[in-house]
Amino acid sequence: MKMSKSRAITLTVIAVLLAAYILFPFVLVVLNSFKTQSAIVSDPISTAGASLQTFLSNVNAVVNNKNFVFWHAFGSSAVVTVISLFLLAVFGGMAAWVICRNKTKWSTAIYMVFISSMIIPFQVVMLPLIATFREVGKFVGLGMNGTLPGLIFAYCGFGGAMTVFILTGFIKGIPYELEEAAAIDGCSPEGTFFRIIFPLLKPTIVTVTILNGMWIWNDYLLPSILLGQSNPNKTLPVAVQAFVGSFVKSWDMILTAALLAMIPMIVIFLVAQKHIMDGMVQGAIK
Amino acid sequence: MASISFRNVTKIYDGAEKPVVPNLNLEIADKEFIILVGPSGCGKSTTLRMIAGLESISTGELYIGDRLVNQIPPKDRYIAMVFQNYALYPHMSVYKNIAFGLTLRNVPKDEIDRRVHEAAKILDLEHLLERKPKALSGGQRQRVALGRAMVRNPSVFLLDEPLSNLDAKLRTSMRSEIARLHRRLDTTFVYVTHDQTEAMTMGDRIVVMKDGIIQQYDTPKVLYATPCNLFVAGFIGSPQMNFLDVTIAADGGKLFAILGEDKIEIPAFKYDALKPYVGKEVIMGIRPEDFLPFAELTSSNGMSAKVDFCELLGAESNLYVFVGDKKVIVRMPSYMDKPEEGNIKVPIEMERAHFFDKETEQAIVH
Repeated sequence: MKMSKSRAITLTVIAVLLAAYILFPFVLVVLNSFKTQSAIVSDPISTAGASLQTFLSNVNAVVNNKNFVFWHAFGSSAVVTVISLFLLAVFGGMAAWVICRNKTKWSTAIYMVFISSMIIPFQVVMLPLIATFREVGKFVGLGMNGTLPGLIFAYCGFGGAMTVFILTGFIKGIPYELEEAAAIDGCSPEGTFFRIIFPLLKPTIVTVTILNGMWIWNDYLLPSILLGQSNPNKTLPVAVQAFVGSFVKSWDMILTAALLAMIPMIVIFLVAQKHIMDGMVQGAIK
Repeated sequence: MASISFRNVTKIYDGAEKPVVPNLNLEIADKEFIILVGPSGCGKSTTLRMIAGLESISTGELYIGDRLVNQIPPKDRYIAMVFQNYALYPHMSVYKNIAFGLTLRNVPKDEIDRRVHEAAKILDLEHLLERKPKALSGGQRQRVALGRAMVRNPSVFLLDEPLSNLDAKLRTSMRSEIARLHRRLDTTFVYVTHDQTEAMTMGDRIVVMKDGIIQQYDTPKVLYATPCNLFVAGFIGSPQMNFLDVTIAADGGKLFAILGEDKIEIPAFKYDALKPYVGKEVIMGIRPEDFLPFAELTSSNGMSAKVDFCELLGAESNLYVFVGDKKVIVRMPSYMDKPEEGNIKVPIEMERAHFFDKETEQAIVH
């Protein structure tokens, strides 16, 4: 179907304006990380004072800052993100598979619980969560508050709903005969999941992983309340706060650190872009 | 190699009022090619899936060979199954699809390789081994599904409407391929279909099912020649048997079928069975090919009919006529001139007419 010229132009203009609107904060971060603190404060929008030299010295100052401990925070973020995503993919896939294939009242009820948890804002549960984690920690004999395993556990809970929701939709489209064929071929239920279902979920898992990954990597609120500022294992978004003092805000450091924190996600997103689209349109056309 | 024995097997789904398969008793001999045939919802697929272990058995016993398999999971039943939609693993190559069952059973790698290549050679898949299922045609996918079942050397080979997704031409060639495979593998085959042509051409014996109950279980020839009831008579044969309501009448020591104004003489060998029905209405069944050439019309074998239209099939033609308000198909050789429009008399070969009780629908005589 061919679009009329005026319609195409209008849509292009809208798209450009929308892109500019969305990218503006990002451009601001990139631009100002090339500038000194005084240049940023005097005019944050102009390119005056921006230089590669300044950027490199900013990067150097951020990476080697004693309060910020960039690599440690980077490592914490990476550990939390990778383990959370792995657990979400495996257990989310398992949960979605069982919910999909067991047509009982219980499985429908559990699915509804997953769905309803998606509409509850995080802010509503964050304070009760701390108290609950403290009690759960006492009960299981593990520190849940202030530890990375506790944070990972929380991410699995918060990310589980969307993961199960998306994967359930996809699993419904997988013919049940494949599982029956696997059972006859000699697969156990676990074997069927890992050898047949999980590989078929790959495009959707990639999509879910990217969506969860962006959120977990960038998340500030949950690690800030669960780990806290003084925690040596704090993640990157929380660590950036080291540059925010009561009286002074080192914008050059904050923005450079934010840019460094963003880079891995941007790279991963660009590389995995194709898979995300594949995963989103999976099942649309057979 | 194994026989299969259903002993009072019932299958009832949770929450259902009546069983899908009520009290099934069926003996399938070792190395036999059995066809389960019937209309949709007759329980044939459920029966096959019970053999596979994909459906539980509510009551009764199922034996494969000497083993009671009611509680044995599918993987330990030494069976292989070909599904209607092939059920090939989309993320695996043809080779891996065929080898999958062997890999799970820890068969040595070179043995897997040998068996996969042997199956691929038989099924003409050797050049496709590296392809993924989505890059194959319907017929090729079907052959991969057969190959996957073959390599396991199963004692029972189960096929659930394997040809229904193929086009007519391919279906014909695959039919003979499967029959050849049965001879080659020399193992028990259980084949489910709703297509009576497949049933007639492939099986050693056919099980005709309706509402979960076996109507008749015999060789294709016997089923065709002597259907035990109206359902089997109508189901087996294409075009299907013509059914006409006739009254049996006795006159001068002879029996006649009264059809409207026509008085058609019944051969003497059918008298004994039909005598109790004198004066009563019965159903007379005549297969389309059991009409005589028009030249052989006599005063006692003609059926009055009104020509509707004629369908040329090639070697033969189907002449559609109305007898009263019932449509009747008469098969005649194409070289014969089709009759003019209007009323005609069609001679019936009464030796081959079937009679059915109108109330019980059971066969009276063939």
